[in-house]
Amino acid sequence: MTAPITAPASARAHRPARGRSFPPLRGLLPLGVLLGIWELTGSEGSPYFPPPSTWARGLNRLWEAGTLRPAIGETLVTFGLALVVATLLGAMLGIVVGALRKADRALGPSLEFARAMPPAAMVPIAALLIGYDEKMKVAVVTFAAIWPVLLNSRAGVRALDPVLLDTARSLHLSWFDTMRKLIAPALLPAVLLGVRVAAPVALVITLLVEILTRVGGLGALIALSQRNFLSGQVFGLILVAGLFSFVVNGLVAVLEGYTFRHRPR
Amino acid sequence: MLRNRVNYLGLATMLAVVGLWEALVRSGVVEFQFLPAPSAFGPRIGSLVSSGDLVPAFLHTLQVTLLGWVLASTIGIVLGLLLGLSETAWRYSMASIEVMRAIPPVSLVPVALLVFGFSIRMELTIIIFVSAWPVLVNTIDGVRGVRAELVDVARMLRLSGLTRIRKIVLPAAAPAIVVGLRLALSLSLVLAVVGEMIGNPSGLGDALVKAQQALQPEEMFAYVFVIGLLGVGLNAALRYASARLLPSLAAGGGGVTSP
Repeated sequence: MTAPITAPASARAHRPARGRSFPPLRGLLPLGVLLGIWELTGSEGSPYFPPPSTWARGLNRLWEAGTLRPAIGETLVTFGLALVVATLLGAMLGIVVGALRKADRALGPSLEFARAMPPAAMVPIAALLIGYDEKMKVAVVTFAAIWPVLLNSRAGVRALDPVLLDTARSLHLSWFDTMRKLIAPALLPAVLLGVRVAAPVALVITLLVEILTRVGGLGALIALSQRNFLSGQVFGLILVAGLFSFVVNGLVAVLEGYTFRHRPR
Repeated sequence: MLRNRVNYLGLATMLAVVGLWEALVRSGVVEFQFLPAPSAFGPRIGSLVSSGDLVPAFLHTLQVTLLGWVLASTIGIVLGLLLGLSETAWRYSMASIEVMRAIPPVSLVPVALLVFGFSIRMELTIIIFVSAWPVLVNTIDGVRGVRAELVDVARMLRLSGLTRIRKIVLPAAAPAIVVGLRLALSLSLVLAVVGEMIGNPSGLGDALVKAQQALQPEEMFAYVFVIGLLGVGLNAALRYASARLLPSLAAGGGGVTSP
């Protein structure tokens, strides 16, 4: 309770290895073999482990019924909105607690407690207070995704070179110009690093909220399919969720590449 | 880092937030149908303890979280060592791991529910499946990042395989592994609560959902508060333990990515 939110070092520890390219493709062999055996030995009507061909059929059924596309759209909206809100709020809070030692000490324990709260536990509260709707989903996801941005922004502010501020002073830059030309570019990589960590979290929590509350989206569709024992459909939808997160990770990697190329040095 | 000084300012802010909450709800400035004042749900914790509802639920969640975490960590470290040390094994499986890891873990909860039904096995399975990944990936990264000189030293000293792992590889990879363990612990708690909320009908998650369905906001907030305390407690305990066992690790803090 008395420790600060985290030592800045943890931000470094969580930095994903940069420039790590995808491992050799022959590594896909075990997965391929597994899926092949599954397909050959799995029985069509298995309620637990339906073979991959039934996944495709389940997805196709959903697509033709016109439920798959809106579900993907809903998940995308919740995920995107929450990530934007979490980034803005997290960066602002992070910059404040990073710049002001007093604010850090004052808010530290409260933030620490809020951060340790499992997001799943927030779902019933949000559902009761806000109701079963889109706003509730965004609120819960934001609550979970804000921490990486906040912590990384805070570490970014701490690591700011004092020379930057001296430069601004000796150039007689206005407050606005100091922010725009020096501080913002210097902080951007830290904030984006936070977003990189926050994006997968936001996606997972979006699905979690949808599974728990069944309010729209891919998660709700997965939960409903499971309830109706349409296991082929469940596995197919998991595959879609996997693709979704693959795309998110890819976009985030692009973003990261961009940031590090434009890193002020 | 462990700081011994009490953060009075921080505690005062916390109290102020609680006071503000109380005042806003009492004066009716904030109007939510189901938002209880802290004075309303605080004592509720006490009554839940004396009614015998809270303690068994708490112990169940704690036990499942720790058990799942230990199993997941063991699997993660053992497999991680294997894949980190053997270049062939790494080459022929890492891509599969990367692909599998991309699947959002919570989407597998319904599958576990399909397969295991409402049972503690289902809860443990999802915990292990989700929490093993960060340990596995961090162990692989840590082991593969062991400096070449250290490996040479081990070879020069003609250390046997197991001794080499114990004396050289594990200590060198420890910081990365600890980060994975920390992430895994907060994930384990999350997944235990999730599993209880939708699958296994026991523990704090189940109690929370029942309180919500019974429209008992005081009871619900009491349970959420207890879950939060458990999260803080587990995090602090692991931080303390890793600072004690590995003093060279200056890194403090918990999992930055704690979904």
